[in-house]
Amino acid sequence: MAASRLPPVTLTLKQFLRRQQVLQLYRRILKVIHQVPTKADQHYLKEWAREEFKRNKDATDEDAIRMMITQGNMQLQELERTLQLANS
Amino acid sequence: MAARVLTACVRRHLVLPRPAAAPRPHPRPAAPRALCTRRPLAPAPLGPQVRPDPPPALPGSLPVPVSGVLQFYRCYSDEPPLSLETITERVLYILKLYDKVDPEKLTVDSHFMKDLGLDSLDQVEIIMAMEDEFGFEIPDGDAEKLMCPQEIVDYIADRKDVYE
Repeated sequence: MAASRLPPVTLTLKQFLRRQQVLQLYRRILKVIHQVPTKADQHYLKEWAREEFKRNKDATDEDAIRMMITQGNMQLQELERTLQLANS
Repeated sequence: MAARVLTACVRRHLVLPRPAAAPRPHPRPAAPRALCTRRPLAPAPLGPQVRPDPPPALPGSLPVPVSGVLQFYRCYSDEPPLSLETITERVLYILKLYDKVDPEKLTVDSHFMKDLGLDSLDQVEIIMAMEDEFGFEIPDGDAEKLMCPQEIVDYIADRKDVYE
């Protein structure tokens, strides 16, 4: 999350787009977590996702951020797969 | 998922009144009430007398839970008309329930980040809570522009065709 706490005016276009990607990823993760059957697990997963995002909020290196987004997407897919398995 | 739960409920309710000799009251009232709590603001619009096709009162059967079921479906299919006031009320209600929002500071015009001290992740969560409450999806492009309760109210009113 590149410098997202600064006023958005200071973001370059690239950073701005990255920021959108990160927020979209967070949204998608939350949506998948919403499908988890038990409330306690939902809560736990939400906290986990939030912590992960917060921990890296000061990252500025473009490549590192891109890699983290990819990693996040992979974990999202894994979560989706696990849910599908659990539901079928 | 929800559809499956609903059909399961319906099947259970439709089957149960037949064997009048074995009434099982416990699971029946529990299910509709649990589902109804999701819509605290939806009133039961029609009284029991308007119910179509009231079931024949069999001796030994339980009429009360059955009517509860029918009413529950009424609740679900018939939403009260939205007005700007009810939308505002519901939006503020959700925000008050969100644990990071200070209800004291909350006004219709308070900016999520500047006034309420939330971050962008909180904002995403709030928008998702709004989607849940009002039952439609807010696309990403619009979601990130909604930064204060009044904007959310305006957006929802716009999407749901509510005017003064």
